Amino acid sequence: METYVVRWYPFTEHPNSDSCWSLSTGPDGRIYAAACCEHLPGETVKVVRYDEHSDSLDYLFDVDEVVEDPRDSGRATQCKIHYSFAPSIHDGILYMATHLSGPPIDLPLYSPWGMWHDEERCFRGSALIAFDTKTDTVLWWDTLIPKEGCRCLLHDEERGLLYALSYPRDHLISYDLNSRERRDIARIGSINSQVLFLDRYHRVWTTRDDGRIVRYDPEKDRVELSPYILPHNPAFQTGWHSVLYDAVSSPDGEAIYAVTWIAQPRLIRIWPHEGEWGRVEDLGPTTQDRDPTIPYSTFLDHCGGLTFAPDGCLYFVASRWHDPIYNPMPEGYREREGVLWRLDPETLEREEVTVLRRPDAFSQYVSRGAVDHNGDLFFGHVGQRPVGLFKVEMPQDRKKEDIHLPIRMWG
Amino acid sequence: MTKRKRIDLGSEEARRLAKEIWDRTFLSEGTMVAFPLCFPGASAPIPPDESHITALDVASDGTIYGGTSGRRVHLFAGAFHQATGAVFDLGGVEDATGCPAICCGTEHIVACVNGQSEGRLLRCPLQPLPRDLIQEWGFSRPRIEDLGPAVAGEKIVDAVALREKGVIFIATEGHLLAMEIASGEKKILGEIPGFGCLAIGSQGSVFGLDEGESLWRYRPQDGSLERSSLPLPEGDWYRCPLRWARDPIEGILYTADGDGRLFAFAEEYGFTGPIGRTPLTPIGPMAVTFDGRLFGTCGDGIAQFFCYNPESGFVKSLGVAVSTIERRRYGYAFGDAVTGRYGQLFFGEDDDGGHIWIYFPSILPRASSSRNPI
Repeated sequence: METYVVRWYPFTEHPNSDSCWSLSTGPDGRIYAAACCEHLPGETVKVVRYDEHSDSLDYLFDVDEVVEDPRDSGRATQCKIHYSFAPSIHDGILYMATHLSGPPIDLPLYSPWGMWHDEERCFRGSALIAFDTKTDTVLWWDTLIPKEGCRCLLHDEERGLLYALSYPRDHLISYDLNSRERRDIARIGSINSQVLFLDRYHRVWTTRDDGRIVRYDPEKDRVELSPYILPHNPAFQTGWHSVLYDAVSSPDGEAIYAVTWIAQPRLIRIWPHEGEWGRVEDLGPTTQDRDPTIPYSTFLDHCGGLTFAPDGCLYFVASRWHDPIYNPMPEGYREREGVLWRLDPETLEREEVTVLRRPDAFSQYVSRGAVDHNGDLFFGHVGQRPVGLFKVEMPQDRKKEDIHLPIRMWG
Repeated sequence: MTKRKRIDLGSEEARRLAKEIWDRTFLSEGTMVAFPLCFPGASAPIPPDESHITALDVASDGTIYGGTSGRRVHLFAGAFHQATGAVFDLGGVEDATGCPAICCGTEHIVACVNGQSEGRLLRCPLQPLPRDLIQEWGFSRPRIEDLGPAVAGEKIVDAVALREKGVIFIATEGHLLAMEIASGEKKILGEIPGFGCLAIGSQGSVFGLDEGESLWRYRPQDGSLERSSLPLPEGDWYRCPLRWARDPIEGILYTADGDGRLFAFAEEYGFTGPIGRTPLTPIGPMAVTFDGRLFGTCGDGIAQFFCYNPESGFVKSLGVAVSTIERRRYGYAFGDAVTGRYGQLFFGEDDDGGHIWIYFPSILPRASSSRNPI
């Protein structure tokens, strides 16, 4: 078996960090991550970068300080960056937009619905930050979405537009980087899709609550709905909540590989340029069989971190857990673990290559993955404090440099 | 900006606050069902950007009629009683993007729709829906007649029907007019700039906001129009378009000013109040159930429901609309409301992918019991 060396990098300088939602390749080919704190009152997100020379993490800045929204203000905090890193290749900027949920410092929780009208408590809004990776400076920031968080972000670099999904109202927003003007395009539904992706016609794709694909076509200036529902397990699912969780483009840009955000996440391949509504292939469930009478948590039954590696294969991390009937794991296995899978896009053969293990806690949940300019893989993790990221060194015969291009343009 | 002290998450205070925050977030009384604009499983819903529900009315058989706004107007009929449970799209209306009002007559509905420059009146027969939508059914789309502009070059602001007289009253940007539903004959009643909704009083007069902090009144009995007929109570009446709700039993009207002060109005007694104040402004659509309780929405962006109970005299915040039956959906913006045949309330969602929200208010506990405890 080939050796994939796994290393764990906890966010030791943000011991309260409970989630690493964003992890992306920057325009400089380095790995950026968000050390988020979504549960504790009065915290903030720190932006982190992996330093390959010192083999450690650099803590770049505290977001609340940069966007002048202090963590002890009494408002909901600038606590996380949720799938909202978006690189700009031509000028080396990494855009990032904040999300909500972190409670005000003196409250145990934050309700974005209940405190919407509360001027003292309401989240100020998703802050959009332009970070120059060439000089390590924040060039500017702006409020991307007043009162709401940004669940995911996409950059259409050719047109100078950012697209975002707002939370909790689930609106598709566009932001013109030249004029710095925001436009509310439409409400999508109630359940945020966790990713947006772009096709070659500049159309923005995402999903709605019922598992239909939603596509915004700038030429028509209209949000359209697919006539079909994404693959799901018909034994106990209807398509509801089969929204996209993660999506990555194949290196040639022709296909999108994605997983859904529902228990027993489905791996799918979408050919967005084929026919009116693309072609969707069901590549099957990513996690184990289970008792269908129990509505499993998406924290336990999960798949994320979709990344194309230098060897042209798709890698992703799916959870595996002990189940006395469906998965009586042998001794030595942890109760829960994150399994790194490799999928050959040509044959669709799927192979387990390693398990991501942190020494102090379970690590079944991986949010995002990325490949750096050295051809190694990185995965963000959500779990016990402090969270952190995994580095997976590719076997030498599968490794190539500068294979991070083309860079993923969405979070 | 005040610096605050970090809360101890393990404290009793934290537990109490967490419960309080959750308890007041979503609908705290009764049940809401968000129903899609289709026959679920049998027809496609009205497209999301054509489904902002801005007009509702209820026919004498309990069928709900509605009109949407957005990229294109649609008219629809919905039935939710017995073995029904469907919304039928009566058709889209070309060159119309807004529907401020829909009115049920005894045989027809009249929809008021606005295009780019003016408002038109459309008429189609009432559309009783099939009785058994579990087993077998048949639907056919009615022909929608275009009765032309209400007033050339003017958009329609609102309309109300006097069903028993077969007449609707229409307020445009500059005029008040009446139209006989059966013949489509229109008559200008006066030159009044329309602002906000119209209402029918407890004795059958038609009211609307006039200049000089007053209401105009049109008496259908003798055809007289009185400008500045009734002074409004002290309040901020021109900040937001006027909204009304009518008690279906007693005919009492409720309205609110720009500061959310609620007033009751009966033609016999005039205005009463302020009888309470809504938690937020601006006021959205309101409706009154059979026991006299007034329910409505207030606040922009994410609206909250409120209830005014005339028995207790209190206004209560009910939280944000949420549905977990039929559709799992949050409700943020509403365009109109009516009272249904059983006293349930229908709120039209004025949002992309708008649904009909059926609200079943909670049943109030009895005040006292004559029975001895068992």
